[in-house]
Amino acid sequence: MTDPPSDNGPAERVIELRLPSKLGYEKVAMDTASSLARRMGFVPERIEALRTAIAEAVTNAIEHGNAHDSEMRVLVMLTAREDELVVRVADEGRKQLGQEQTAPTPRIEEALTRQDKGGWGIWLIRELMDEVEFTTAPSGGNQVRMVIHLER
Amino acid sequence: MLDDELSVSTRERDGVAIIDLVGDVTTFAEEKINTAYAQATGQGARHILLNFRQNDYINSAGIAILIGIVTEVNRNNQKLAVSGLSQHFQKIFRMVGLAQYADIYQDEEEAVRGFAATAA
Repeated sequence: MTDPPSDNGPAERVIELRLPSKLGYEKVAMDTASSLARRMGFVPERIEALRTAIAEAVTNAIEHGNAHDSEMRVLVMLTAREDELVVRVADEGRKQLGQEQTAPTPRIEEALTRQDKGGWGIWLIRELMDEVEFTTAPSGGNQVRMVIHLER
Repeated sequence: MLDDELSVSTRERDGVAIIDLVGDVTTFAEEKINTAYAQATGQGARHILLNFRQNDYINSAGIAILIGIVTEVNRNNQKLAVSGLSQHFQKIFRMVGLAQYADIYQDEEEAVRGFAATAA
């Protein structure tokens, strides 16, 4: 066992949001993260990728992890480092994410014939971010840690 | 405040039923998009254009709604195209595979010309 990577840096470079578990609030996380990323020097294309990944992570936390319980919060932690932005999204774990749910490989041909045409969120996160890791949050909920590298 | 930020309207141009989608395409969009599509289909539309405008937020739930439209378009032997997507969402549509089922055009003009060319 190795220790999980520490995301602690100088305190002024860490931003934390505690969002209500209500769909729509993911947009607050998207806007905060893109504002920070722009100031760090990310190009617009990468900022768009980041917005999509954060939207999916927070939406999952609201819908699945916290099962729309408005009393529960979604914690978003953004850590600006010299050469990367680390994003952690944690829920309070009303429903635990199964291992198989964290690495889906959806196919549109199958989705077209299925009643449920969803299941693209975590796949998109993995496609768009440079590093993605699913763990258990300190609160006991689900946590996804995503990293996007700054290319100059 | 944050939940429903999409307006959907339908119009006809040169034999193409254009569904304008202005705003966010998320889970809240399902009924509006499906209703607009059903209305166009009920009026006998063969060519359907989803014309995206000011969509800086399309999420996986929105993608699932659009896959549902593709299923219906295939069932009804219609032709589907999309226009007005940002570069980012054009890329996502290609990644997901939606581009196999809907031609992607930069804007409405190009899409209408594209439909005319395939119908000729």
